[in-house]
Amino acid sequence: MKTKSTLLIAFLLCGFLTGCGKSDKKIMGVSFQTMNNPFFVDLDQGLRSVIETKGYELVTMDAQWNSLKQKNDISDLILQGASAIFINPVNWEGIRGSLLEAKKKGIPCIIVDVPVKDKELALSTVASDNVEAGRLAGKALVAACSSAKIGILQMSVNKACIDRVAGFREIIEQYLTMEIVDVQEVKGNTESARPVMRDMIGRFPDINAVFPINDPSAFGVISALESAGKLDNVKIVSVDGSQEAIAAIQSGKLHSTSAQFPFEIGKIAAETIFNHFDGETVEPDIKVRVALITAENAAQFLKKE
Amino acid sequence: MRRIKGLGPLFAAMIILLILFGVMVPNFLTRENLLDLLQQISVNAIIAFGMTLTIMIGGIDLSVGAVLALVGTSTIYVLSFGDAETQSLLHFVLAILTGLGVAGAFGAFNGVCAAKTKMPPFIITLATMMIARGSAYCFNQARPIPIADHQTVFLTIGNGRLFGVIPIPVLIMLVLFAVAGILLHRTRFGQHLYAIGGNREAARFTGIPLARTQIIVYILCAVFTGIAGMINVSQLYSAEPAAGIGFELDAIAAAVVGGTSFTGGIGTMNGTLIGAIIIGILDKGLNQAGVHFSIQDIVKGFVILAAVYMDVRRRK
Repeated sequence: MKTKSTLLIAFLLCGFLTGCGKSDKKIMGVSFQTMNNPFFVDLDQGLRSVIETKGYELVTMDAQWNSLKQKNDISDLILQGASAIFINPVNWEGIRGSLLEAKKKGIPCIIVDVPVKDKELALSTVASDNVEAGRLAGKALVAACSSAKIGILQMSVNKACIDRVAGFREIIEQYLTMEIVDVQEVKGNTESARPVMRDMIGRFPDINAVFPINDPSAFGVISALESAGKLDNVKIVSVDGSQEAIAAIQSGKLHSTSAQFPFEIGKIAAETIFNHFDGETVEPDIKVRVALITAENAAQFLKKE
Repeated sequence: MRRIKGLGPLFAAMIILLILFGVMVPNFLTRENLLDLLQQISVNAIIAFGMTLTIMIGGIDLSVGAVLALVGTSTIYVLSFGDAETQSLLHFVLAILTGLGVAGAFGAFNGVCAAKTKMPPFIITLATMMIARGSAYCFNQARPIPIADHQTVFLTIGNGRLFGVIPIPVLIMLVLFAVAGILLHRTRFGQHLYAIGGNREAARFTGIPLARTQIIVYILCAVFTGIAGMINVSQLYSAEPAAGIGFELDAIAAAVVGGTSFTGGIGTMNGTLIGAIIIGILDKGLNQAGVHFSIQDIVKGFVILAAVYMDVRRRK
């Protein structure tokens, strides 16, 4: 009876694991804050596209927004003798312990997408040029209207979003006819942006331009303006370049979005590690291009089915 | 004697898993990797020891994950109070006492509600979970609070090693395991827990102090969680208000895999420790075998099912 039940567990496991078998391949690992976002799936694909052609295996880990799980996952990779580790931190300060541990074992770490506080512990940081993404949004707005009363929806806990707003302000503040009338906090998703936008047009009925820091927030803004019957009078400039946003640009609901290129971030991060292996000096802070999408060029960014 | 014998299959399952991963994963059974395994399970195991006590009396504590976060933020808030440059013993002691005090208060509140009202513990602790989580978000505008580098004593709790070998969290886990084990298996208090979980009414008639025992159990569970919370923040060099989401379920899983029965009155500390180790082996082994994260959760789900199934059959 007892042996039967223990066998049951062993059997279940064997069933699952036979496919994975052990290999003598050299491995690299990547730990994402979450995989519940197509952005990171694309980034993972970008890493994979380089790493696998070089004969390495890439182990992808999902921290599920849990810093402790991320720490444990990374220490598993370190003890497994990974040649390099790519980290997309849940907590930009809390990742310190993992970076120290990797450094002690001499394993290079590359930070992807979200910057960390202890930059010097990592080999390099590869992320979108978020300041430029904000600038592009600002320029798109300036090009579209000669004067505007602007509302900003921001997320001040996130470094990437802080940078976007800084870039946006940099452009807007050069023009006397452009005025930022209100700045509010959102959580970077549609549910939180909608009520904030409704309140904003309640207090400032003459707002005619909005900068939500990302596409999901932009959809909350669109929804709030639509139900207030004001969507036609308000220009929205966003950041991300998601497929849904491109569709919204084509249907005239969104003015522009500054596209990021997650696949490219992954690809460049992976190339950076191989440059490092070849003995080249590596740039500590690598910015990946962003591009403005408006109605004129929207079609070419739409993924073909 | 019977208790030890009952753990046979569980122990065997643990050994089989170790051998299995030892064969599949190169360097799995090295000393360094196994010590790391124990370090990784320490937070979950410590919470699970407390959880086992609550499940034992037919209760449950869903607030542990949120209490862990609140203990972390309040401890670090006090620790980093005032002079930022020097490390003082006073701050350290005050911070630890604050953390344990907060945990104890939540435990006492859960316990009193469970003992003195007819509200089910599931609902009581669901509510205190929200209260603790919200309170954790009150610190530092809901942003993580970093632990300054000069707080070397506090950082040792999560990152230090005794004699450069045994991680401090593992040491703390083993001490608390001994404490919980002795409480449950070697004292009258422990016998009362089995009696209450087995048959509450019968326990009342034999004169067991029902209310007091329940309150103590919930306080113990929360204090264990508080200690785990300090290890957690020390390991992460910062206190996150969003930490510990879902930790209650991990702790329940460890207790249940270890043979603790949800109807109460059945379970052992040895079992819970082995339960936590088995889950830890799965986490680490599947990670190091390069199994995709989606498959990992599926495997863990089946293992928990299998463990509970065989437990139920064995008890028939």
